[in-house]
Amino acid sequence: AQTLKISHQFPGGTVDEGDFRDRLCRKFAQELEKRSNGGLVAQVYPGSSLMKTNSQFSALRKGALDLSFYPLPYAGGEVVETNIGLMPCLVTSYEQAAAWKKAPIGRKITEIMNAKGIVMVSWVWQSGGVASRERPLLSPEDAKGMKVRGGSREFDLMLKAAGAATLSLPSNESYAAMQTGACDAVVTSSTSLISFHLDELSKGFTSGQGRSFWFMLEPLMMSKTIFDALPKPQQDLIMQIGEEMESFGTEGAKADDKQVEEVFRKAGAKVVVMDEPTLGKWRTIARDTAWKDYANRNATCAELLKLAEGMA
Amino acid sequence: MSTAAIGFLYAGATLGVMFSGMPIAFALGAVAVLFMAFFMPGASLDTVTQNVYEEMASITLLSIPLFILKGAAIGKSRAGQDLYSAMHAWMHKIPGGLGIANVFACAIFAAMAGSSPATCSAIGSAGIPEMRRRGYSGGFAAGIIAAGGTLGILLPPSITMILYAVAAEQSLGRLFLAGIGPGLLLVTLFAIYAGVRFRQEYAAAKRAYEAGGARSPILAEDTYTMAQRLGTLHRVLPFIILLTGVMVALYGGYATPSETAGLGGVLALGLIAAVYGVWRPRDLEPILSATIRESTMLMLIIGMSLLYSYVMSYLHISQAAAQAIVALQLSKWVLLAAILLLVVVLGFFLPPVSIILMTAPIILPPLKAAGFDLVWFGIAMTIVMEMGLIHPPVGLNIFVIKNIAPEIPLGDVIWGTVPFVLLMALAIVLLCLFPGIATWLPDAVMGVK
Amino acid sequence: MVLGGVALIAASLVLTYSVVARYVLKIATDWQDESAVFLLVGTTFLCAAAVQARRGHVGIEAVASLLSERANRLRLVAVDVMSAAFCAFFAWKSWTLFHEAWIDDQHSTSSWGPPLWIPYSLMAAGMTLLTLQIALQLARGLTSRQQADTRASTGSAVQGGAPTPGSAADAVIHQKAPEGSAR
Ligand code: NA
Ligand code: NA
Repeated sequence: AQTLKISHQFPGGTVDEGDFRDRLCRKFAQELEKRSNGGLVAQVYPGSSLMKTNSQFSALRKGALDLSFYPLPYAGGEVVETNIGLMPCLVTSYEQAAAWKKAPIGRKITEIMNAKGIVMVSWVWQSGGVASRERPLLSPEDAKGMKVRGGSREFDLMLKAAGAATLSLPSNESYAAMQTGACDAVVTSSTSLISFHLDELSKGFTSGQGRSFWFMLEPLMMSKTIFDALPKPQQDLIMQIGEEMESFGTEGAKADDKQVEEVFRKAGAKVVVMDEPTLGKWRTIARDTAWKDYANRNATCAELLKLAEGMA
Repeated sequence: MSTAAIGFLYAGATLGVMFSGMPIAFALGAVAVLFMAFFMPGASLDTVTQNVYEEMASITLLSIPLFILKGAAIGKSRAGQDLYSAMHAWMHKIPGGLGIANVFACAIFAAMAGSSPATCSAIGSAGIPEMRRRGYSGGFAAGIIAAGGTLGILLPPSITMILYAVAAEQSLGRLFLAGIGPGLLLVTLFAIYAGVRFRQEYAAAKRAYEAGGARSPILAEDTYTMAQRLGTLHRVLPFIILLTGVMVALYGGYATPSETAGLGGVLALGLIAAVYGVWRPRDLEPILSATIRESTMLMLIIGMSLLYSYVMSYLHISQAAAQAIVALQLSKWVLLAAILLLVVVLGFFLPPVSIILMTAPIILPPLKAAGFDLVWFGIAMTIVMEMGLIHPPVGLNIFVIKNIAPEIPLGDVIWGTVPFVLLMALAIVLLCLFPGIATWLPDAVMGVK
Repeated sequence: MVLGGVALIAASLVLTYSVVARYVLKIATDWQDESAVFLLVGTTFLCAAAVQARRGHVGIEAVASLLSERANRLRLVAVDVMSAAFCAFFAWKSWTLFHEAWIDDQHSTSSWGPPLWIPYSLMAAGMTLLTLQIALQLARGLTSRQQADTRASTGSAVQGGAPTPGSAADAVIHQKAPEGSAR
């Protein structure tokens, strides 16, 4: 049997318990072993226990790693086009997100990734929100004077334009920085908001349930070198299981959106949700800052943005 | 080849290469690359440098050189000596007062720095020469600093606890608070031991002197009047300013934990410039070159040990060992003992950061199922990893001491740390008998879970 | 090494400025952390050769006392050969990494997004210097019995003689008295 290594950066658990992104990988591994009759076995390496988050992408490209469940925009340093996977206000609902894969935008992304030596196995999207020490960060006016960890270049650009002082901070220092007040608010995925326990420090919470300015593409990706070396039936099996996992991923992400709201509410935080007019205000800022910045990177980026805007 | 066989081969090769005298950093890297070439896909060799870079390019990790800089600025200028003479004036009546003062100094620095080698270096660069000057044996002086330095990861803030909290999905705030009780317990145990050991060394020196031998400085009886004691207080002032400056910046929310490292360095350099006139390049040279030598040596070891642990992880060695233990279906306390033993063994080769990353995902679920409080376990595991920092062959704190005080033979350093390793083991037993040592404070502050 | 010291102070100042910028000037801090990382990575690798020149990379010398003088000399040569081989490999792979980053125009993923060839080139240059330094010490060890003996007995003796070609940092060190005397 051939052993495939699946690496990710999220907390590890079991197939039935824990972070849904880890569970997705384990379920994938389980199905793969069962349906290939043991021909393909997969080992899951959670919590960056194999390699650092940023190393995974280039290891996939080189064929040194088989699979990774990886936030696509983290590859933005190597492949600038991937930043489309976390563009503020570009994707604002799960329905919109789910349509990407089969639409022209999805095909273009698949094509770009293929050229870079990556096979997109499973498309998973996740919504996110904002935890803040004092008042919730809801509208652009709220951002004024707040020290915010945006988490990506594009979010920082938008938040800065709204008047926030953004700061770069390793995600594992979020808690300490919020605790001391070095940072007022953290923008990230619902799941990370739970696992960082930011509810202990927050009086305000902007939920990403249903609608959010933060949607990230987190696909399960495979090294093309490794994929191409497999016989056709095994390749088909991988893609098929990958597709089946997508609904599990979406359910998991939605469940976390709901759970994070409860967790923050229970901890006594004021929970707010973004309505369409507020989202519109953010979109106006994003269009002039983050989107523009992205489109100016190169012609492919501009094309991707155009395709994505057509999805709205 | 089976995973177990590869595992033993890996450990054997590492021990062989290390005891050949090859510098630790290169030894770890070379063994890793060799095993990569033999047991991993060819493409892995192309990822070596990026892996090392990504591991090192974290501001959290790189704050270590800056903490060392802060320590060296104090330790290598007159600030350190002044501080110790003031402490001596106040504590000389207590047997082993200077040793105890060093334990306290380590604890205080540990509350500002998140890493153990940085704590060890900061206090050791002034503390060891000072203790040696007053007649403490090399092993004793080295042991105090090596062990005191390990408090860096037990007393908050702590780099390893941050990683643990994420891996175990536990509250970091709770974990930090839980470290304080056991940290103080260790401080107390170390201080008591320092007093006892001082009496022994004192008695031995006295016998040797009475038998006609040389008079050891340990026998010196100093007396200070109250006025003299009060007169030393102003010398402590710069240190207190530095300490409060950094604490206010960190806990007052002005700086992120990594920024605190830089701020501390600037404050320390500023202080010695203002108070002791140390600012000319000529004056700063010894401070900077000592910092560079120590931090470069240390950072290369850390970088390469992360490469080493990447190979270990890829070959599934520690994971397989942890899974084997879990598969034994042991009873609650035997399981705990087996797991802690595994951590001890891994501590022979790996720094705490790697141990957590590799084993946490496997050992935590069964521990949780067995009914252990994972915050409590995090503290127990941290103490075991502290042991690893001061036992050979890879013990980062030992290397730091070797660098600060090259004249103390490595054997003496290692023997000097043994009693402290035993005290840590005692602390773990106490922690098992009285879990409240760790859990009381977080429960009191944040409410019972 | 002098440069390294300056870089360390610079890194501290950058991080301090970061605190001031956010609190006093209320502006975003996005380039500070990362430039501090570059400074520190650069310091670590570029000073590695200088540290090696003083045999400052700690190793376990436990067997030194068990072996004969001749065996020890052989052991030290073997250790240097292995170290040089590893560092040469690492240097080579660092230059490959640098080359990739240069061609693909890779950038860091932060909002500042500086090009990655900068830290990679620091790493590559540092490891190259380190390799040369070990090779030089190896050559010297082979030609001079005496020095090998000194080294075996102290484990951290300072090597005298000509500076490594191309290494300004080394030239500084070789003119210095042994560090131990300053303590
Ligand atoms: Na600490
Ligand atoms: Na150890």
